[in-house]
Amino acid sequence: MNPQALMDGLITGSMIGLGAIGVTLTYSILRFANFAHGEFVAWGAYLALVVSGALGYLSGSLLTPIGPFSFGWSLPMAAVIAAALTAGLALLVDAVLFGPLRERRSAVIILVMASFGAALTLRNLLEFIFTSQPAYYTKALQIAFPLGGGLRATPDQLLTLGVAAVLVASVHILLTRTAIGRSMRAVSENQQLSGVVGIDVRKVIRMVWMLGAGLACIAGVMAGLLVQIRPQMGLDLLLPLFAAAILGGIGSVPGAMLAGLIVGLAEALAVQLIGAEWRSAIAFVILVMILLLRPQGLFGRPE
Amino acid sequence: MTAAGSNSPVLSTQALVAGYERDLPIVRGVDFSVQTGDFVVLLGPNGAGKSTLVKTIAGLVPVHSGTVLLGGADITAMPSHEKIRHGLAFVPQTENIFATLTIHENLQIAANVLPKERRNDRIGALYAMFPDLGSRPSHRAGQLSGGQRQMLAVARALVVEPSVLILDEPSAGLSPKIVSEVFDRIAAINDAGVTTVLVEQNVKAALAIADRAVILVEGLVAHEGVASQLADDPIVAELYLGVRHTKNPVSS
Repeated sequence: MNPQALMDGLITGSMIGLGAIGVTLTYSILRFANFAHGEFVAWGAYLALVVSGALGYLSGSLLTPIGPFSFGWSLPMAAVIAAALTAGLALLVDAVLFGPLRERRSAVIILVMASFGAALTLRNLLEFIFTSQPAYYTKALQIAFPLGGGLRATPDQLLTLGVAAVLVASVHILLTRTAIGRSMRAVSENQQLSGVVGIDVRKVIRMVWMLGAGLACIAGVMAGLLVQIRPQMGLDLLLPLFAAAILGGIGSVPGAMLAGLIVGLAEALAVQLIGAEWRSAIAFVILVMILLLRPQGLFGRPE
Repeated sequence: MTAAGSNSPVLSTQALVAGYERDLPIVRGVDFSVQTGDFVVLLGPNGAGKSTLVKTIAGLVPVHSGTVLLGGADITAMPSHEKIRHGLAFVPQTENIFATLTIHENLQIAANVLPKERRNDRIGALYAMFPDLGSRPSHRAGQLSGGQRQMLAVARALVVEPSVLILDEPSAGLSPKIVSEVFDRIAAINDAGVTTVLVEQNVKAALAIADRAVILVEGLVAHEGVASQLADDPIVAELYLGVRHTKNPVSS
């Protein structure tokens, strides 16, 4: 087996993990599986593309590659702005669709079906605006350099791993060491009691949408940087995102990240061992196995 | 137990109608008031609407009509998370702590409504009041015993120094010895000046510590009076509370 599969798996896994954090947070607090979450990944990637292009248009120097990387300052700046815009998009979807359904105390299946509808709308809107042709942040070629042990990675790939690690640590600290993080965990456990103790549950829900969508955007930018940007990229990531969220245990941020890495590694190993055509099936197999054997996931609590 | 304070009620409901379904009210026009410093126990048979009444006051059950006043201010439509800021603390009957959070985190969450500079002092004061909690602040709340959970729930409610503390059946599921400890603690809290409303099935124990009792039947106030007198009233005990009075059996 080629040890490079390990590096490929970690890189894919870090993107899946970041996206899965958003899934696990929204799932644990809003109590439904939001199938539109993958579209925040795609929208984030495209919004960053637009903002990066606009920044490059305003100042050409922002397009000059930074050090060993393939992109200029326009991309990190665009990623931050796009994360905020994607958070705004998530709030808009919640205000227009999920919020009114919650107010009506709609059944979970109604919310899930609504998320399917939102996903279709958002995906087709992207395709309508940007066409189905793939897009790229940069077309500069990068040479992977040896890391030892038969592993190679490009500077962009190593950067995405580092960014993912920093973001996961930041979200974990946010949840465990800050007042808003404690409120999120409280709302995740018991919304009614949260209100009684003085937590503004609606505010917490807004925070969760913003956080989840912001992380999805960064995952999208990473995927766009390392692979390509396509309107279908969110759909392609959806199953791995849910597999990672459930494998990690709903509500567990470190669990989602670790599970994202496991799913990414499993996919990369599957490519090596049984063929690339089985790659997409791996997330499905993991999802079914975890639901049958340990439905609470690695770090979740049994119901 | 404290005597009733001033004449103006700190908490009252006027013609309150409430319930989960619009066409099926559980509370059906309750007029009820509590004076400052008072200790009122809400009694009544199962399904009388006691828990629904206090949940409605706390903002957890939709109000169909009528008003809830706290310190003279209308809080009927106020969301539950705002009521605690106005001095109304509620301890639900079950699931009244965050089991996955630590003891300290449970108190920190409640303290978030206080100004930052007061939070640690207030939590420290509660640890002094409940040393069993203060000795293990990083203990996960879900690992506490039933009695300790109730103490944590009460401590959590007291963080904000409420003007009114409402407790919904704090004795539920506890052993008699623990119930006695919990009731002693609640009585001490009331003695410290916190107006207390207690919903309770444990009639004798509740009447022994309360100033006044209000008996609900089928969503309406059926009877109210001084707790010690109601405790000795055989007709009330027999008809509304399901308690056979041993000293003076009720004749038909």
